[in-house]
Amino acid sequence: MLLHRRIYQFLIIYAIGIAFLLLVKYALDLSDYVIPGPVDIWHTGAAEFGRYFSDVMNTLAVAVAGQIISIFIALLVGITGRQATWLGSFIKVAAYNVQAYPIVAIAPIIFILLGDGLLTRLLIAAMICYFPVMLSVIGIMAEPVADVEHFYRVTGRMRWQLEVKIRAFENLHKLTTVIAGSATLAMAGTIVAEFIAANAGIGFSIRIALYQSNLAKILVALFLIGITLSVYQGILELVGVLIRRAWTGK
Amino acid sequence: MCLQVKNLTLTYPGSSDYVFQDLSFQLKEPGFNSLFGPSGVGKTSLAKVLTGDMGNFTGEIGPEGLRIFLYSYNTERLPDWSGIGKHLEKITPAGKQERREELIWIFGLKDCLRQRFSQMSLGQQNRVNLLRYLLQDFDLLIMDESLANVDEPTREKIILRIKSLYPQRHFLYISHNVVEVSKFCREIVVLRGAERHPQSIIVRGQDARIDREIDSGRLNQTMLEIVSASS
Repeated sequence: MLLHRRIYQFLIIYAIGIAFLLLVKYALDLSDYVIPGPVDIWHTGAAEFGRYFSDVMNTLAVAVAGQIISIFIALLVGITGRQATWLGSFIKVAAYNVQAYPIVAIAPIIFILLGDGLLTRLLIAAMICYFPVMLSVIGIMAEPVADVEHFYRVTGRMRWQLEVKIRAFENLHKLTTVIAGSATLAMAGTIVAEFIAANAGIGFSIRIALYQSNLAKILVALFLIGITLSVYQGILELVGVLIRRAWTGK
Repeated sequence: MCLQVKNLTLTYPGSSDYVFQDLSFQLKEPGFNSLFGPSGVGKTSLAKVLTGDMGNFTGEIGPEGLRIFLYSYNTERLPDWSGIGKHLEKITPAGKQERREELIWIFGLKDCLRQRFSQMSLGQQNRVNLLRYLLQDFDLLIMDESLANVDEPTREKIILRIKSLYPQRHFLYISHNVVEVSKFCREIVVLRGAERHPQSIIVRGQDARIDREIDSGRLNQTMLEIVSASS
């Protein structure tokens, strides 16, 4: 159900976007070179579908890996940063300050240092995805659930594992939503990296299409990115629902 | 074993109004005692001062011979990731399994051990919460509205059985039910507010037990004393 909703929501938005472009084209009498007609877009789609689909899958694979890395590190930092200790406060302050700096702006440095291969794309995807996830995790983990934790605290049973388990359980809906939402960030991060300087992926293909001023190719690429991301997010949301159902019994 | 509060003065952070000003009282004997008073008079604050959850006060808390203070309250929850039977098993100290089974029976919870906490009624939730505290080691257990939402006959049964099972422990029962505290408690500390002197009056309760009937005339007298002390 969630998957269906995601897909048709994207199709509606995409159709509105295309309709708007065509409206501008015909209203201002723009040439096919500036905004291609529907037939042109269709033909480009048929010609480029296979190659672009493979590029999108390549990008998605990097985005998924980047997302997994960022979630893992965000959980690690969030759990450490939850403590009301000197280290915990330091991590929290550092995290809030560092995240205020736009990661995209330092992407060129990463390309210069690491080249235009897989590692650079992965690193940028993980970094762009990481900070919003980490801030949510720190926020959740630093907030005591007093009504549940009180008993364990006063009876000396509270361990850090139990504390993390209680807070994660009480905020399960928030956590799964943040993780599903971070898929967009990971994908955006990967595409941005590919667009800047990488040598593979759909961002790289969009860059080439841009140099060719071929809007039809860009629209086809956007369609494939959107539909793939909708399916991926839908699957993540579904997994989130299944986890919640299994753990909470609801 | 004696619980003594001497010249306790407390203000909330950022406020100049006193919650307590030179509050003093003494509960000499173990048993079922009560903190009574209108809402906002400081019952929960006093409980937290006693258990060490609230600092920033002056005066003396003299828990002679009392080591372990526990504070339970009625909005506590158990984690909802498994049934309450499993939770109770996990928090039962070694050697207290029999006591756990006995309390489950007394508290009328035998049929809901498979349920998760959120699936239980409010009364059942409060009973489960209190039960897990009773399984722990404690010298003083503060029960802040711990039997709220429990029907009267069940509440009476539970209180009487707690009194017979733990005769040497201190209990401080916080409740707004004047009949209940008059009937079951040995001594009732009536808190009257920081602006009044004395700030607290101790009223002798009827201390009902399983094996002791209480006189209704004396019960009425106790209730009158409590009402006049708090008004």
